Amino acid sequence: MSGWRLTLRQLPVLRVDLRGITPAALAGLSTAEVERLPLGCGNASLPLAEFFAVARHGDDALAFDGDLSRFDRLGWQMAGGRIQVEGSVGHYAGGCMSAGELVVKGHAGLLAACEMAGGTLTIEGNADDFAAGTLPGSMDGMRGGLLVVKGNAGTRFGDRMRRGTALVFGDAGDFLASRLVAGTIAVGGRVGAHAGYGMRRGSVIFANAELLPTQLATFVPALASADVFWQLLARDLAGRGAPFAGLASRPTERYLGDLGAGGKGELIFVR
Amino acid sequence: MSAPWQRNGVIVDDSFAEAFPMKATRILITGHTREWARHAAVAATGLATSVIGCGCEAGIERELAPAQTPDGRPGFAVLLFAMSGKELAKQLERRVGQCVLTCPTTAVFSGIDDGEAIALGRNLRFFGDGWQISKLIDGVRYWRVPVMDGEFVAQESTAVVKGVGGGNLLLLCRDTDSALAVATAAVRAMQALPNVVMPFPGGVVRSGSKVGSKYAALSASTNDSFCPSLFGLVAHSELTPETRCVMEIVIDGLSEADVGAAMRAGMHAGIAIGAAGGLLRIAAGNYGGKLGPFHFHLHKLLGDGGPP
Repeated sequence: MSGWRLTLRQLPVLRVDLRGITPAALAGLSTAEVERLPLGCGNASLPLAEFFAVARHGDDALAFDGDLSRFDRLGWQMAGGRIQVEGSVGHYAGGCMSAGELVVKGHAGLLAACEMAGGTLTIEGNADDFAAGTLPGSMDGMRGGLLVVKGNAGTRFGDRMRRGTALVFGDAGDFLASRLVAGTIAVGGRVGAHAGYGMRRGSVIFANAELLPTQLATFVPALASADVFWQLLARDLAGRGAPFAGLASRPTERYLGDLGAGGKGELIFVR
Repeated sequence: MSAPWQRNGVIVDDSFAEAFPMKATRILITGHTREWARHAAVAATGLATSVIGCGCEAGIERELAPAQTPDGRPGFAVLLFAMSGKELAKQLERRVGQCVLTCPTTAVFSGIDDGEAIALGRNLRFFGDGWQISKLIDGVRYWRVPVMDGEFVAQESTAVVKGVGGGNLLLLCRDTDSALAVATAAVRAMQALPNVVMPFPGGVVRSGSKVGSKYAALSASTNDSFCPSLFGLVAHSELTPETRCVMEIVIDGLSEADVGAAMRAGMHAGIAIGAAGGLLRIAAGNYGGKLGPFHFHLHKLLGDGGPP
């Protein structure tokens, strides 16, 4: 089989850049070739074997074992295949990925799924700030695919996000969906202040409406229902996980805004 | 013509229906209530009996329970057929724009996944005057257009597939009452099958046509061979003195097998009524087999599975 298992030898002192280590890049290589792949560490380039024990394994996935919280850009620009990490990962996990599946059993650092364009990124733990957001200086954040955070998300979740679906099963920090261009964000738990700040379009769903954000000064209540759209979306979300199951049968309350940015976005509170 | 082949006293011609390739699509129309979904479906399939004068042929394929629709509301599946994909796209946009977008509470979705995409809500969205919103849900794009009762939701596109149009049965009956009863029973049997519509009023057409006319401007004219009022007047009448009323059922389907199955079901329903009920003969319309690639031989359709 063509799968690989990379087991962390020990936590590195400096941060390590894992860009280029994707299932496609490793396909067809020998064990020795994989061990010699260069990884950026500080201002040096070190062979992969300095950090990981390399072994083949039974399925096609690229599996990482260990705490990779000092390893950044895991799955960076990934365009297919499957990566599974049995621990936490560093910053930029799944950044710019366009296809495939990335599963992180632990937590993810800053900017997870930033500018992600396709595929699925699942983070079983928490995601730090700016997940599904944009790279510094770029206009658009996440632009396709599915991000699932089963724990909590930090601040600025979905900043400048343009397309795709991003879900948080737990709580989300301040400025959720700030400057959202479009796309769908759903949160199962509590939400911090200023949700939807500067959002232009897009839908933000609060599956636990008892926890309303208090500041909605730049949003107006929607007088008309959007039942058809809601049924389409709620049925899709229902299959994504427990916080979103049963949404379709619950009443909703919509607010339109941000009026400071055109007002074509919506906040949907599920009762 | 071979010797008469009878089932339950009904003569079944050793003949065939000749059908043509068409372009087809299915859309699903839903509404807040069954009634409003039906209003839209009926309107969207209005004036769609024949491509000769309507641009397309269309009909309600079946009613959908809430559990069968994308938005969980009652709805109807509608099939549309045209002679080209371009004409189908034009008719679809016009009919959905005028009859579904306008109808209270309705939404419209594609009913076919595979095939070349044609616009469903893609152009209608501009009715929203900039307030329209796109939503991509599970890989499918929908348009939400603000309207006075809330919003009109339309899937961006539907798919065009190859269809078969012009399958037909001619039901030669004793009188008007029996002809209507037989035709109604046949249509009802066909409506129970998927992937077909009978586009004429009530599924039945009484103005069967032949190719050509004594008037140069007309490409088709009344099928005088089957007109009881012309029996004894035209030299080539197909009728007998007992045949006082003839009805035709035209069938459009998504495949040759679907049209064949519908014709078979219609014949079985007619034969079940039998000569005692007024059905004297079943025939089919064709052009000598030279124009249409699909030939539905009546005897073959009845085959082994037919009633004695």
